[in-house]
Amino acid sequence: MKDEGMGRLRNELAEAWTVTIKDMKVYYLKPGMIMFGFLMPFFMFFSFSVQRDMAAEQGVARLLALTLFFTAAAAGPFIIPMERRLGTYDRLLAAPMSLLTLLLGKTAVGALFAIGTSTFALLVGVLAFGVNIAQPWLLVAGMILGAFSFSALGLIFGSIPTRNPGDVQMPSTLLRWGLLFISGVFISLADMGALARALAYISPLTYAQDLMNHAVLGHGLLNPWLDLTVLLASGVLFLVPSVLMHRRGRKLGY
Amino acid sequence: MTNTIEVENLTKVFGRPESGVVAVDHINFCVRQGEVFGFLGPNGAGKTTTQRMLTTLLEPTEGRIVTFGYDLEHDAYPVKRQMGLVPEEANVYTELTAWDNLMFTAQLYRVERAERASRARELLENFGLWEKRDVKAQDFSKGMRRRLSIAMAIIHKPALLFLDEPTPGLDAQSGRAIRDLIRQLNAEGTTIFLTTHQIEEANQLCDRVAIIDHGQIAAIDTPERLKAAFQRVQSVEVALEPDGGAHGDALAALPGATTSVKMGDKWRLYTEDPSTLLPRVMDYARLHELRVVSLSTLGPSLEDVFLEITGQQVGTVRHEEGEGRPQRQGMRDRMGGGR
Ligand SMILES: Nc1ncnc2c1ncn2[C@@H]1O[C@H](COP(=O)(O)OP(=O)(O)OP(=O)(O)O)[C@@H](O)[C@H]1O
Ligand SMILES: [Mg+2]
Repeated sequence: MKDEGMGRLRNELAEAWTVTIKDMKVYYLKPGMIMFGFLMPFFMFFSFSVQRDMAAEQGVARLLALTLFFTAAAAGPFIIPMERRLGTYDRLLAAPMSLLTLLLGKTAVGALFAIGTSTFALLVGVLAFGVNIAQPWLLVAGMILGAFSFSALGLIFGSIPTRNPGDVQMPSTLLRWGLLFISGVFISLADMGALARALAYISPLTYAQDLMNHAVLGHGLLNPWLDLTVLLASGVLFLVPSVLMHRRGRKLGY
Repeated sequence: MTNTIEVENLTKVFGRPESGVVAVDHINFCVRQGEVFGFLGPNGAGKTTTQRMLTTLLEPTEGRIVTFGYDLEHDAYPVKRQMGLVPEEANVYTELTAWDNLMFTAQLYRVERAERASRARELLENFGLWEKRDVKAQDFSKGMRRRLSIAMAIIHKPALLFLDEPTPGLDAQSGRAIRDLIRQLNAEGTTIFLTTHQIEEANQLCDRVAIIDHGQIAAIDTPERLKAAFQRVQSVEVALEPDGGAHGDALAALPGATTSVKMGDKWRLYTEDPSTLLPRVMDYARLHELRVVSLSTLGPSLEDVFLEITGQQVGTVRHEEGEGRPQRQGMRDRMGGGR
């Protein structure tokens, strides 16, 4: 019985990975997306970092957090509605895997894309600006968990029961920009008023930014373990509305 | 004989329970192991809705589905492993090649690594797609996509295969190839659930057929026995001049005609035997010095078969009172059936 459970777990993980690889091939490894992946960090850098008079380290820490945030959910929210429209999503829903497995596979693609893109951003930061990374392992852990959390956040919108990717665009964009402005990215947490800071603590981006500060600059405001824990927990928590909306979709017939 | 699928009181209401669309209305049936079970009904009958519930894609509003002995709502995993699904629209990944499409599905169903390639090759060769294995599915014709979609559904050798209208829109040759394939799979032991709106297809392929309309099953029987019902609802359509509208009752009284129904400027006469009714209509026209503007025979329409089986009047739309319409004469015995 236990063996059966282990076998099932192995199967489910392999299936999640199969979904990840398939999505990667079908949606991400395409000229447009690759271009986007290369250009995004530069956009981020020039629009949010350079104009302000700040140290290169600080710029890179911010660049990493923002690149993770904007690329992890760049395509994810639109893939499921599109697959629902094309009927290919039925294939995944009817396959012998749990809904959670499917969602994990879908989350992993966005996360991998974000990790790839921010690694590129990191290389540019290190090579072009000679930035030193204070705590490399924290950086790796932060990139993985941040990418996971943001990708899972994007998947909530992908789980809206609809066949029209356009329906997803507005809410997902609104939320992302909303989070961007309440998070401690442009104004550091230390400089925020009590209310603003309370608001900032809601957003996972705040913790990703703090973690990047630890990793790149060597110091942040919060405990890095708290940052890591919050990113992991928020990622898991974000799967819950996705599961619920998928259940609703199964009732409505999407 | 064991049942592969048992369906009890299966119901789907889209929207609110009180006011929504009842797509499937308390149906009961079972699919026996090893048979080709046809699910026959006109557009909007509830076929796809039923099939989506049977394949776990849609949550029933009410009722129970037991497949391979597992209650689908609580224990879907072992069922999903043994189930293959060919949906209404060929849902292949257009960005992937035929080969990659098959490999993806094989991995999803955990087909042994050693077996994947040989199985994919065998299928592609059987389906005439081997030469196209490295072509992306976006460059495939409709028929090729359909074949690929079927290949993807059976790469893990499912014990139960669902097909939702696999042949419409294909040329005669592709259609026949798919029907042959269904027969072959069935001969190898696969239980088949085939959704269709083509009487002839059901007739050729199925061991038993359920007839569904407006979400309800009117009859479940062998094609041969259902055919008896089909026979009774063949018809002859005639337009007469002048004053063609006046002859309905007289036409219905002709020997061999069971009912007459006015269809625009024509009268449709239902009959078991159009070939003997035709000359009688001509004789009638000659006798009354009428000009025959058009005259044609029609095979049974599914709607008519459904009405025939449920004992309702043919030629009328359901839920609409047959006001001022000629009464049905003759056959009214019901087929043994489904509810
Ligand atoms: N997701 C949905 N939401 C609301 N109504 C739906 C939905 N899906 C189907 N219906 C309705 O349910 C009824 C049955 O539809 P279904 O697709 O099952 O018919 P069908 O027998 O497969 O027809 P066809 O031959 O056209 O494929 C129709 O009235 C349809 O409008
Ligand atoms: Mg249908």
